[in-house]
Amino acid sequence: MSRKKVLLAPLDPVHDIGLKMIKRGLEQNGHDTILMPPDHTQEEIIKAIIDNKADVVLISRTLGYGVAEILGKFIDLAEAAGLRDRVKIGIGGMAIRPELAAELGFDAGFGPGTTVEEAVAFVEDREYIPAETGVKQEKKDITADYKYDFNNKRIEKLLDTIVDGILDYVSDKTTTAIMRAELRRQIIESTSESEKDKFRREYAKLCDDVVKSFYEAGKYREKTRPLSSDEVSALSKYVGDVNSRMRPMKLQHTDKNPVVFIQYGTGCPFMDIAHIKSCEAWGADGVIHFDPSWGARTEGFLEGYITHEEDGSIITYENLKSIKESLAPYTLWQVRAHRGLNTPETVVIAGKIGADLTKINIAYGSLSGGTDPERLTVDAVAAIKYAAEFSMPFDVVTNEELSGVPAYKAFAGMLIVSKLGLRLGGKPILQPLFCYSPEVMINGQMEDNYVDFNAAKIYCLRNIVNAPIWCGAPIGFLTQTEDRVQSSLMTALHASLASSLGVDGISIASSDEAFSKGPITAASRIDTLRATQASFRFFGHANMEPTENAKKWAEEMEEGIEKVLESVVKNGSFIDALYQGLLGSREDGAYPGRAGRNSVLTKA
Amino acid sequence: MSDILEKVMDAVDLETYLVCKDEEEAEKFTLELMEKLGFKDTTIVFIQHQGPGARIRARGYIYKPGDRYSWLFDQSN
Repeated sequence: MSRKKVLLAPLDPVHDIGLKMIKRGLEQNGHDTILMPPDHTQEEIIKAIIDNKADVVLISRTLGYGVAEILGKFIDLAEAAGLRDRVKIGIGGMAIRPELAAELGFDAGFGPGTTVEEAVAFVEDREYIPAETGVKQEKKDITADYKYDFNNKRIEKLLDTIVDGILDYVSDKTTTAIMRAELRRQIIESTSESEKDKFRREYAKLCDDVVKSFYEAGKYREKTRPLSSDEVSALSKYVGDVNSRMRPMKLQHTDKNPVVFIQYGTGCPFMDIAHIKSCEAWGADGVIHFDPSWGARTEGFLEGYITHEEDGSIITYENLKSIKESLAPYTLWQVRAHRGLNTPETVVIAGKIGADLTKINIAYGSLSGGTDPERLTVDAVAAIKYAAEFSMPFDVVTNEELSGVPAYKAFAGMLIVSKLGLRLGGKPILQPLFCYSPEVMINGQMEDNYVDFNAAKIYCLRNIVNAPIWCGAPIGFLTQTEDRVQSSLMTALHASLASSLGVDGISIASSDEAFSKGPITAASRIDTLRATQASFRFFGHANMEPTENAKKWAEEMEEGIEKVLESVVKNGSFIDALYQGLLGSREDGAYPGRAGRNSVLTKA
Repeated sequence: MSDILEKVMDAVDLETYLVCKDEEEAEKFTLELMEKLGFKDTTIVFIQHQGPGARIRARGYIYKPGDRYSWLFDQSN
């Protein structure tokens, strides 16, 4: 590459910052540069080109007023001076579009968003190839740096006692869900169609009538339909085409910014995939599968590619596999198994397909998720064992806060299930909510700001145990309105609060979070991803500073957790403690679920 | 439906500011506007009236989950 003499001239009264940046880039690449000050005429610039014997000229123009006439005159003068044959002339700036530059006769036009590298490539007569620095290459394991050491030994001892009781209780118990999970595994692993059919017949006997009628008579639930074979093959082509042109943005500005998950579950796995690919392109690091609420109250799963017209996408092996196959290799994928009558099977299907994460919490699932405490406890132990087998970390979500359960009670339940997870070889992730919960609405901890109480939660958990924290779900819950600007801003500020507090992951909503009259849109997902990226850029390594209330409330929470755990130990039974409301009472707004009541079996 | 609307992944949002006297009138105008523009499946996502008029965001669904999406079959995607 030959060394070039480049004249940089702002054809503008004041603006020249872009040229200053390009000058630096050119000098770093070994070129000679001459930067003229702003506010020179076309004639003065032409004279400077001649006097300096420049090889290349870069003109900038920021102001749009009269741009075509001014630049047209410049090119005419360059032509008249005999410069066009030997001097390469490029034009750039806010007022420039490549089409205009070409029309006027410039060798290149650089509009807004042009990089220094692009201008250097022009000077060096080579094709500009965009840098791939924003492209993600690897999945992040947010549990990798944690040893799960308990700083609060009193709490650890109480948790161990409770976990001993749980494991002792479930040791001779089973459920139809656990049996179905093993049958599902055999169906997936078998290579013989006749053997698969035999397992399916056994499976159907363990299901509710609506699922049984699917296996026995091919009947679909209302508002559901199988996706056609041409839709399935069209999806494959669509995903392939989209993947070939993916250049994903990066949300994080610094290495302290958490990984960002979005939640999907439009009802249709193919619309989900379309949304997921859009979110990947706009920088989402992970995606979370939302299943329909009726699925949690039904014994058994369907099979095949199935769509339906309500919120939540149906869990089938085929639906989840099509979603998994559409994901970029660096995208984290979570399938929830935190409530309902199919939690072990959910983890088996997710694990066999290759999910990265799952979600399990007995306290939430049975107090706010509608599942019977005893049933969910037995199922969850099996589900955690599968999660450990498939090396899937699981978050322990505390969404019972949204029903009115105070944070300290929800955290006590979360810590019990986390300790249970550790005992069973799993990797739990704490999931406190960043939300405007009924507790704070009543007690006023968020009257002044949304920062302190959320910060208190993180301080409290860090005081207790060295464990990964993933704030959910989604962050900012109940602070967002139907106004997409307000909604996106609330999400972004909560994201930066989470980043300030050094958490590992966050789940964000779309800007449609508070909109409930129809399906959310792809565009609304991009709103909050964009806002989160901007907020990460704004704060960088700088932090938000909570007031003194945060530490005070963190201490109160820790004391509250300890008292709740003491009461559970005193009660003698974790399951009974759930029924009795020790981890969230009817007065708080938590009701032990009824789905699966009296369905636990004693092993033969 | 025109071909270009088949390129919409799910819905078209229309945001504007309507000169009107109150929120009730804003809602009426918004629905009229969406109908005039030819949207069949319309909902109002956001509406807030202050002083001279209302900030609105209306949505016309082109596809809802469970529909057959034309863009999925478009070979030029």
